Amino acid sequence: MDVAVRASAAAATAEDAGHGRATARRRPRVGVVKFASCDGCQLTILDVEDHLLEIAERFDIVEFAEATSRRSSGPFDVLLVEGSISTPEQAVEIARLRAEAKLLVVIGACATAGGIQALRTAAEHEAFRAAVYPVPAYVDSLATARPVADFVQVDAELRGCPISPEQLVELLVSLTTGRRPQLPDQAVCLECKRRGIPCVVVARGLPCLGPVTRTGCGAICPAFGRGCYGCFGPRENANTAGYAQALVTGDAAAGADGRGRDPVDVGRLFAGFTGATQPFRSVTDSLAGRPPVTLRPTLASPPETLRAGPPTWGPAPSAPEAPSAAAAKEAPDGPRQ
Amino acid sequence: MSVATEVPTFLPRDRFDDLLQALAAGGRRVVGPTVADGAIVFADLERAADLPAGLTLATAPGRARLEPLPAGPGARRTFQYTVSGEGIKKFTFPSRVDALSMTTDLAGTVRVKVEAPAEPVPLAVVGARACDLAALAVHDRVLIGGPAVDPDYAARRSDLLVVAVECALASSTCFCATMGTGPEVTTGADLVLAELDDGFVVRAPSAAGGRIVESLGLAPAAPERVGKAAAQTAAARVAMGTDAIPANARDLLLANLEHPRWEAIAERCIACANCTLVCPTCFCTGQTVTSGFDGVTSTAARTWDSCFTDGFTQVAGGNFRPRHQDRYRQWMTHKFATWFDQFGTSGCIGCGRCVAWCPVGIDVRAELTAFAATAPAVAAVPLRDRGTLQPLAPPAPDALDFRRATVVSITPETADTSPLRLVTDDPAILAGTPGQFVMVGVPAFAIPPISISRYHPDGIELTIRAAGAATSFLTRLRPGATLGLRGPLGRGWPVETAHGRDVVIVAGGIGLAPLRPVIDAVLRDRAKFADVRIYLGARTPRERLFVDEIEALAAREDVLVRVTVDRAGPEWLGRVGIVTQLFKTVRGTGTDATAFICGPERMMAATATTLGDLGVPPEHMWLTLERHMECGVGLCGHCQFGSRFVCRDGPVFSAAELGDDLRREGL
Repeated sequence: MDVAVRASAAAATAEDAGHGRATARRRPRVGVVKFASCDGCQLTILDVEDHLLEIAERFDIVEFAEATSRRSSGPFDVLLVEGSISTPEQAVEIARLRAEAKLLVVIGACATAGGIQALRTAAEHEAFRAAVYPVPAYVDSLATARPVADFVQVDAELRGCPISPEQLVELLVSLTTGRRPQLPDQAVCLECKRRGIPCVVVARGLPCLGPVTRTGCGAICPAFGRGCYGCFGPRENANTAGYAQALVTGDAAAGADGRGRDPVDVGRLFAGFTGATQPFRSVTDSLAGRPPVTLRPTLASPPETLRAGPPTWGPAPSAPEAPSAAAAKEAPDGPRQ
Repeated sequence: MSVATEVPTFLPRDRFDDLLQALAAGGRRVVGPTVADGAIVFADLERAADLPAGLTLATAPGRARLEPLPAGPGARRTFQYTVSGEGIKKFTFPSRVDALSMTTDLAGTVRVKVEAPAEPVPLAVVGARACDLAALAVHDRVLIGGPAVDPDYAARRSDLLVVAVECALASSTCFCATMGTGPEVTTGADLVLAELDDGFVVRAPSAAGGRIVESLGLAPAAPERVGKAAAQTAAARVAMGTDAIPANARDLLLANLEHPRWEAIAERCIACANCTLVCPTCFCTGQTVTSGFDGVTSTAARTWDSCFTDGFTQVAGGNFRPRHQDRYRQWMTHKFATWFDQFGTSGCIGCGRCVAWCPVGIDVRAELTAFAATAPAVAAVPLRDRGTLQPLAPPAPDALDFRRATVVSITPETADTSPLRLVTDDPAILAGTPGQFVMVGVPAFAIPPISISRYHPDGIELTIRAAGAATSFLTRLRPGATLGLRGPLGRGWPVETAHGRDVVIVAGGIGLAPLRPVIDAVLRDRAKFADVRIYLGARTPRERLFVDEIEALAAREDVLVRVTVDRAGPEWLGRVGIVTQLFKTVRGTGTDATAFICGPERMMAATATTLGDLGVPPEHMWLTLERHMECGVGLCGHCQFGSRFVCRDGPVFSAAELGDDLRREGL
């Protein structure tokens, strides 16, 4: 599920972009929270050094346990959520936080796709617990680790393991200016080509998930002569079945002998940090001879926290609010205006 | 011309550094093939030792691996491969170019600065092949051949010295001999090298090349060396053959746009875009807007884009090419068919990069051959008649410049749609015609194309529907704010062709906005037209536009107005239904009518069908298309619709011009 920030995510008025700038506006209250995750994405927030002062100036960071002892349980104008939902308590807590947040942004592979811990979705949960913990009864975990969007409405997502600092800044800038963040959904391949990185599939015969993975990382792995391992998750319309087939037949990334790869190995290639997403998981299952699983069932009912409008810090716009991105998508093709 | 141009000379291998020094004279940057990241990469070339000595590139569909040359006298050759993954395009047409910057000051005044083109950096490219030069000629036609000119390309192209290498072998992926572009280097080079085991036979087709040969004091090449060089290139030609693709590829593709093979290709195609990005003639670009936290400064950069991406054809209402098969068909038909209509040449130059660098090894030659096998006899498809598609007003040379306009008033018409009244003193914009559009720039946002919905003596109106972030922002502007306008662009409604004829105007929803100048023009010269009928559809009564104006029109004796809505509430006493149902209640439009239609594409197609049944000739039915646009002048490639650039050849087309394409899925 690609969740674009709603069309006018931040309630920017004409004044916001300098057209008679308003002064003394309340800074949006920002929280950063985590669930099942490694904190790497939170560290990325601290890693945008050149922008930290600007961010602190424009956003009121009221909750960010990784960075400050100041605490808040809400409400939040913007809530950044790291981690997947892995325990019953987390499922309750994310619903509470959703109610406190005007704009909920999930960050990182765990929050957007389940993360590496979601691999247990394809295994026997009880057997796992028994194998890992001496007294499994002490551990109260859900059978699956799932992305936040499986539990509550999500307004935007930043992908990656960890997220890209550039995309984080882009998101924050877009919130202050009221525009849609530019988070491309196309393949990593475009970034490789723009950077002039020779294709590792063609030139080295490496299995690389770049063709089916969303760009945003700057093609880091191919730049160092490695195949992409898909941490940004599936790109738009990813033809994972076609690509996996080519890896098996040897049409793609054949070895020196021209032969393809073992199907199970190809399946494992897709079973990484975002392996619990439907386009990747379906390949892993089919190559391992497992029956297909439908992931991310539709929410039984719309979460109560689903709100129609954008958040409303700062002066209210005088014109009617824009329709949501979802509404715009539903509209029939309009003529050019 | 120097005498050196006539006589082939010989450059001993150990003097290649002298050649590089001669090229670098006067501070010229010299680039050529080097080895990096397990591949041949064009980069700065300081010494002959940087060349890929003793290596070849073994290519096959989906494969391009560096391999050592076999032992023997030629084992230290430096150009013993054909094309690398990237040609010289990255130097003449870089993957990222800053296009413009925009700022807003505290008074709300927008300043748009079109970035100056790159300083013309004197550049020498060593190791371009015949196919690379053919590709350069194609880019020249596309990017500086007009009507619009890419200033950045023009600057980079202005001082380029080309040292070409004639291929001594052909890879399995090469097919330049079929495309008529190689392997012999015939045009476009200043120097042509043919590599032998101990050095290079050098030809100097240009005066600049001749001066370099003279400065090096090279001796004439021995006839046996010249003969040997010619023989190895001739052998490369023989190895490739000249029948890699069917001779009637263009006709085959255009006759088989709905062939089941497209779907079969799409199962293998992963739409990674690599074929388009390694292609030396692909020229599509997108704009990436970045802005600061202040929201008042932003930069738009032009980056390589690809018709294989989802965003390429995305508009607020949906995507015109959602499926991989639509995208593959666009790529292949553009290269081998519609490029001829657009630029009078093939878009493919036979370098085979798309074959070798396709990660899953799809071979365009095999695909074209498969089309030939399943549809052997097709009629020749004539080139599109460019005569009828010439823009009424070709873009001016400064078509990429922005003019400033000031918002005078903004009055919401419906919940999401507001006409923006602008004043400007730009004579070009004021002289625009009905149906033309402008690109609208405000800092931090993408630059949308908006059609002009009314002309005033001192400005224009734009009717904006808040469909995306940029248009939402525009509907919230206040009087006094300024914005940047680029235009007027495109070919508008040919209102004068309706003189003496009945006029039928059909609008769906916001489609009324681009037709409003037609209504204005017809009423201004009412006597020149026979019957005038206006049919309007809206989704709901609340979404009707310009209600007061339309009621005033309906009150006139000399205009017939009919309005219908898709869904009505109890307050609506008018008609309910789709707009085409209105004609069935009205007698005889017929052969003497000229129709102007605007609305969702499906509504326009249905209207064209209904009007056609009533006898309106297709060449007298005009409609306007919406497509994703980034440049508006035919340079960015996004708005292609078959052989047409909607921005430049349209957006207004006749139903006759569009033919079957109007109803074709995924075009």
